[in-house]
Amino acid sequence: MDIQLLFFAAVKDHFPDLKKIEVSEGDSILHLRNILTHTNPGSESILKVSRFAVNQTIVGDNFVLREGSVVAVLPPSSGG
Amino acid sequence: MSVLETYSHISSSPIFVSSQMPDIPEIGGFVVFSGIVRNLNEGKKVTHLEYEAYAPMANEMISSILADARKKWDLLHANCIHRIGKLEISEIAVIVETGSMHRAEAYESNRYIIDRVKHEVPIWKKEFYSDGSSQWSKGCVHESH
Repeated sequence: MDIQLLFFAAVKDHFPDLKKIEVSEGDSILHLRNILTHTNPGSESILKVSRFAVNQTIVGDNFVLREGSVVAVLPPSSGG
Repeated sequence: MSVLETYSHISSSPIFVSSQMPDIPEIGGFVVFSGIVRNLNEGKKVTHLEYEAYAPMANEMISSILADARKKWDLLHANCIHRIGKLEISEIAVIVETGSMHRAEAYESNRYIIDRVKHEVPIWKKEFYSDGSSQWSKGCVHESH
């Protein structure tokens, strides 16, 4: 099944063209982290400190993805 | 850019400190904090910044932080606006206003709001340096900055 991806700031530089990705039924955020790290090993350190939001709500590693989920990868905030 | 104007806490237009107080006669203390773009960071000369936000989520999170502040303190006014896009040196990046009957609540809640906005809200800055290089800020590693 496909999920939509939104990348921001430093994470976006690692995945400039990636808009969606195929994951398996039952895959969680943890699986997605691993898939992304495998896709681009250079992103590992920034992904480790990034938060994930599904449909604009921060979720933990165990959150299970669904078809069409909009997943945002949020590196550490640096506003202000 | 017009879409962004629908977010009350995220602005792509310049932010200014108003000399007008909110029209709330019970207010006895009013605190304004503004975060300003400065020309130096970690020893490197900064020429300008670019702020990026996950705008709908950032707007909701700022609303929620303001609501939390209103629960913790007896506030008559609380607002926060964060700028996005390209900002020059000395422009206002973020503004937090708090108003209450007495100054203590206004000061404390203002600090609470800006600290949470900086740490939690999905907004990021890219620094551009005088040598032509640029990099995304690492985030809030210095607690009090």
